[in-house]
Amino acid sequence: MNILDARNITKRYFVGTRQITVLDNVSLSLNEGEFVVVRGESGSGKSTLLTILSGLDRPEGGRVFIAGQDITDLREDDLAPLRNTTFGFVFQSFHLVPSLTALENVMFPAELANDMAAREKAAKLLSRVGLAERTESYPHQLSGGEKQRCAICRALINEPRIIFADEPTGNLDSANGNAVLDLLLELHRERNTTLLLVTHNPEVAGMAERVVNLHDGRIVTDGGHA
Amino acid sequence: MAVMPDFRYIRRQISRSRHQSLVFILCVALSMVTLVSLGSFSRSVHSSLLRDARTLHAADIIIRSRAPFPADFEAAVTALEKENAVESARVYEFYSVVRKVAEDDSLLAQLKVVEQGYPFYGQVKLASGRPFHEVLTSGSIIVEQVLLDRLHLQVGDRLKVGEAILTIADVVVSEPDRPVNFFALGPRLFVAAADLEALDLVGKGSRVSYYILAKVHDQRRLANIAKELRGFPSEERIRVETYRTANSRVKRFFDNLLFFLNLIGIFTLLLAGIGIQSTLAALLKEKEKTIAIMKTLGARSFYIISHYFGVALLLGLIGTLVGLVVSLALQNFLPSLFRGFLPADIGLGVSPVAVGEGLFIGFMVVVLFTALPLFGLRDVKPKAIFGKEEQRASRHGSTWLVGGACAMFFLIMVLLRIRELKTGLYFVLGTGILILAAFFCTTWILRQLQKRDEDPLIFRQAMKGLFRARNSTRAIIVTLAAALTVVFSITLVEKNLDASFIQSFPADAPNLFFIDIQSQQKDDFLKTLGIPATTYAVVRAPLVAINGERIDPEKERGKRGDNLGRTFNLTYRKFLLDDERIVAGKGLFRPDWKEPQVSVLERVLEMRDMKIGDLLTFRVQGIEVSARISSIRARTEKGLKPFFYFVFSKGVLEDAPQTFFTAVRLDKERIAPLQNHIVARFPNVSVIDLTEAVTVFSRIMAKLSTIIRFFTLFSIVAGFLIIISSVFATRHARIQETVYFKILGAKKRFVLAVFSIESLLLGLISALLALIFSQVGSWIICWQAFDLTYRPFIGTSLLLVMATALLVLSVGVGASLPILTHKPAAFLREQSDE
Ligand SMILES: Nc1ncnc2c1ncn2[C@@H]1O[C@H](COP(=O)(O)OP(=O)(O)OP(=O)(O)O)[C@@H](O)[C@H]1O
Ligand SMILES: [Mg+2]
Repeated sequence: MNILDARNITKRYFVGTRQITVLDNVSLSLNEGEFVVVRGESGSGKSTLLTILSGLDRPEGGRVFIAGQDITDLREDDLAPLRNTTFGFVFQSFHLVPSLTALENVMFPAELANDMAAREKAAKLLSRVGLAERTESYPHQLSGGEKQRCAICRALINEPRIIFADEPTGNLDSANGNAVLDLLLELHRERNTTLLLVTHNPEVAGMAERVVNLHDGRIVTDGGHA
Repeated sequence: MAVMPDFRYIRRQISRSRHQSLVFILCVALSMVTLVSLGSFSRSVHSSLLRDARTLHAADIIIRSRAPFPADFEAAVTALEKENAVESARVYEFYSVVRKVAEDDSLLAQLKVVEQGYPFYGQVKLASGRPFHEVLTSGSIIVEQVLLDRLHLQVGDRLKVGEAILTIADVVVSEPDRPVNFFALGPRLFVAAADLEALDLVGKGSRVSYYILAKVHDQRRLANIAKELRGFPSEERIRVETYRTANSRVKRFFDNLLFFLNLIGIFTLLLAGIGIQSTLAALLKEKEKTIAIMKTLGARSFYIISHYFGVALLLGLIGTLVGLVVSLALQNFLPSLFRGFLPADIGLGVSPVAVGEGLFIGFMVVVLFTALPLFGLRDVKPKAIFGKEEQRASRHGSTWLVGGACAMFFLIMVLLRIRELKTGLYFVLGTGILILAAFFCTTWILRQLQKRDEDPLIFRQAMKGLFRARNSTRAIIVTLAAALTVVFSITLVEKNLDASFIQSFPADAPNLFFIDIQSQQKDDFLKTLGIPATTYAVVRAPLVAINGERIDPEKERGKRGDNLGRTFNLTYRKFLLDDERIVAGKGLFRPDWKEPQVSVLERVLEMRDMKIGDLLTFRVQGIEVSARISSIRARTEKGLKPFFYFVFSKGVLEDAPQTFFTAVRLDKERIAPLQNHIVARFPNVSVIDLTEAVTVFSRIMAKLSTIIRFFTLFSIVAGFLIIISSVFATRHARIQETVYFKILGAKKRFVLAVFSIESLLLGLISALLALIFSQVGSWIICWQAFDLTYRPFIGTSLLLVMATALLVLSVGVGASLPILTHKPAAFLREQSDE
C-alpha cells in the first residue's frame, strides 16, 4: 500500500477578483520508504503541494490519503496525532517557536507525545548537527542556517514515517547542508522513512530515487532522474 | 517640510489595525464617560442643592448656639431690628418623641419650631400647596408624610408634642434649608414658635439647637452686621455666619462624596490613559515594519510622527463622540442611581460645561498618553525591516518617562479637581505607594515564576506566554491589581460596616438610648424604667484652650473629620468602664494631685496631640473650668456602647447644669411600649431607638456604596481594556504559537489550555495582590475611620478573587478564541514573507 496517495489535487487562490490555479489536477503516490524530490521553477507550486499533502491546507478538489486514510476533510484535532508522530515538517522558512529555545523547540513534539526522554533525544540531535553549544539560544539569536538545522532536528525527533522538507538545505553551506542531508538519509535508510523533498540543488536531486517536476501547477515528469 | 496629513493614509492605517483602534477608541470613550458623568453629577448637585446659598440657609445671616442666646445678645439683635436693618426669626431644632392622643403609640420626631418670617429665602412646600406661613399658626403643626404613615394619622388629627396637643394641619414636601433628609433619625415636624412654651420641652441642658435667622435689608451692610454680631462679647459659643461663609451639613456631605468620587474618577482616567498608551504602542508596533521601510526610503521622523498623531487624533475624536453618546444614554440611568440622595424633582442632564471640561481633559489625556509612543517612533531603525525583533523590550529610560508623565498628569488632575493640596498630596502618595507596591510585588512574583522549569509542558508554555515580547504582563497586573484594590476595599469596608452595625447588632450592646433626663427626674426615671441601668451625667461644653493656648473653632471646623471646634459631652466618675483600659498614666486619676483632673480618650489625641499633665480648659455654662490630664484611656472593644472623650474627677462638674442619659438593651417588641410609657411620663426625654437609626444608616451606606461602585466600575472596565489590548498586541505572537503548536501535533485543547492558564495566572496574581492590599487598606480604614473591629471576610474575599480570575480568564481566552480557528497554511505563507 502507498504511504501517501494524492489524487487530482486542485488548488486555487483569489487575488482580488481574479482566480489563479496554483495546482491543477495533480496526482502523486509515494511508496513507504521512498525518497522523492520535487523540482520546478519558483512559483510553480511546490510549497503549495507540500502543504496540501501534509494536511496543512485543504485543496479545492481531489483527495489525500495517508496510509489508506482519507485526511482531506479531517478536522484539525484529528490531524494533530498525525502531525505529531507520522509527519515531520521542515519549512522553507524554519518556523521555529520564537518564545522557545533551540532545545525546547526540538523537544516540543516529543513532549507533546509524552516522551520521557525528550530532553536527551533533543540534545543528541542538536549535537549531531553541530548545535550543542546553542541549545539555550532563542531563534532570533540564531543564524538562518542554525535555525534550519534546528528545524530539521525538530522534524526528526519523533521519528516520523514521512518527512516533508521544503528546501532544507537552501540556507546552508555545503558542509552543513551535507550534515543535514546525512541526517535525513540516515533516518530514511535505518527506519525506512519516506522523504518528500523540495530542492533546487541538482546534487541532492541526484541522490533521490525519484524526481517529480512541476511546471505551472502541473506535474510534467514523474520518475527517474531529471 | 510642511506636511498635509494624508487622510487616506490615516484611514488605511486605522483599518489595518482594527482591533487596536477599537480598544483605543473605547479607552478614550471610557475616560469621556467618566469625566462627563462625574462632572454632570457634581454639577447637578451644585445646581440643585448648593446653587443658591441663601436659599440653602433660608437667610442672610445664620446665628447658631447650643444654649439660649444671652439677653444682651438678644438685645443687640432687637436693636438692629428696631433700626430696621434686619428682620429676624428664631428657630429651635431638637428631637422629641411625639405621641398619639388616644392610643399608646409614639415616634421620635425632629422638631423645628419656627417664628413667623422663616424662611426668608426659598419656600417650605406643602402638600396642599398653601403658603407655609398661613398654615403654621399657633395650635397647628406640619409634619412629614412618613410620620402620618408610621402613626396611622391623617391631616386634621391631633398629636401630643411635649405637653401640648396640636393639630396636624398639613404635610411638608420640601424645606429650603434641608434639601435632602437622609440624615434624619425621625420625620420632620414643624411647630409655630407661639407654642414653644406650651411644649415645655426646652429645658436647660437639652440638646436644642438655637438659631436666629436674619434677613439684611441693605445687602451692603451684610458683612458689617455679621462682623458686629460676631464680635459680640459672649461667653457661649455663638456662631455667626453669613450665607456666604456658612457651611451646611448637606454641602459638607456632598463635598466629601464628590471629593471621593473625584478621586475614583481620576484613578479611572489614569487607567484609561494607560490603556490609551498601551494600545497605541501596540498599534505602532504593528506598523513598525512599514515605518522602517518609510524611513529607509527617506521619510523623516517628523513626517511619520505627524501622520500617526493624526491617527491618534482621529481615533480620539471618534472615542470622544462614542463617549458622549454613552454619557447621554447613561443619563437615563443616573437618576435611579442617585434616588434618595438628590431631590426628586431635579433634572439630571448632561451639563454642557461638563462636556466642555470632558473634551478638554480628554484631549489632554490623549495628547499626553500618546506622546511617548509617538516619540518612540524616532527610535525605529530601518533594520526593523529584517524582522529581527528584540525578544525583551528594551527599557532605555522611556519606562521612567512614562511613569513620570503619568505621575505628573495625576498630580495636576488631583490638584485641579480636589483643590486641597494636603489631601491631594496624600492621595497621590497613597496611590503612588499602592502602584509601587503592586509593581514590586508583581516583579518579584514574575521572577519567581520565571525561575521554575520543572512544570508540565502546558504550564511551561503558559509561563512562556506571560513573558512573550509585547505582552505587557507586568503593566496589566499592576493596573488590574490597583483598580481591584479599590473595588475590593469598598466591598470589604461596606461588609464590615454592615456586619458591625446592621447584621449582627452586638448582642450585649444597648439599643435604646434615653437622653436629656433632667437631674431632678433621674431617680423617678430609673424607677419608671424598671430595669437596672447605669446613668451617665452629661455636661455639654466646648474646649477653649490647651495649656492656655486658645483654640480657634473656625480653623478646627475647617478640618476633615472630627475636630476640637465642637461642643463635647463631658462626664465625671471615679471608675474605669468595663470596656476601657488605661494606656498612659497610673489609674484614671492621680490621688496625689489636688487640682481638677480629666482623663482623655485616646481618639482625642488624633485631633491634637496631648500628654499627661496638659491643662485643658472648657467653658461650662459661661464659666471656664480647667483640669489637668491625668490619664489617657482607650476602649478595649469597638462598638456601640456609650463612651466619653473627657472624664472628670469628682468635685468639678457636679454642680454644673447637666442632663443624664442611659442606655439599655431591650428586645425589639418591648421597645415601643416602653418608649410610650416613658414619654408619657417624661415628655422631655428623647428616646433613640438605635435599631431604627441603624436602618437609616444602612440605607445611606447602601446607596453610597452603589454610587461609588458605579464609578469604580469604570476603572475595572479600563483594566479589562488593557487586557484586551494586550491580547491584541500579542495577537500575532499568539497566532504564530497556535499555528506552530498545531503543525507540531498539538490539539486545540492544548492551545486553549495554554492560553487559559496564562490568563488565569494573570487574573489570579492581580486578584491576590489586590486582596492583600485591600485587606490591609480596609483594616486601616475600619480601624482608623470607623473605629470598628475588623473582620477579614475570607469567604467573600475568596469569592472576589475567583470572580476576578474567571473574568480575566474569559476576557483573555475570549479575545484569543478567534485565533484558534486559523488554518495553518495561510499564516505560514504570511510568515515566510517576513
Ligand atoms: N495566498 C495566496 N494568494 C494568492 N496567490 C498565492 C497564494 N499563495 C501562493 N500563491 C501563488 O501560488 C504560486 C505557487 O506558490 P508556491 O509558494 O507554491 O511556489 P514555490 O514553487 O514554492 O516557489 P519558490 O520556489 O519560490 O518557493 C505562486 O505563484 C504564488 O504567487
Ligand atoms: Mg516554495
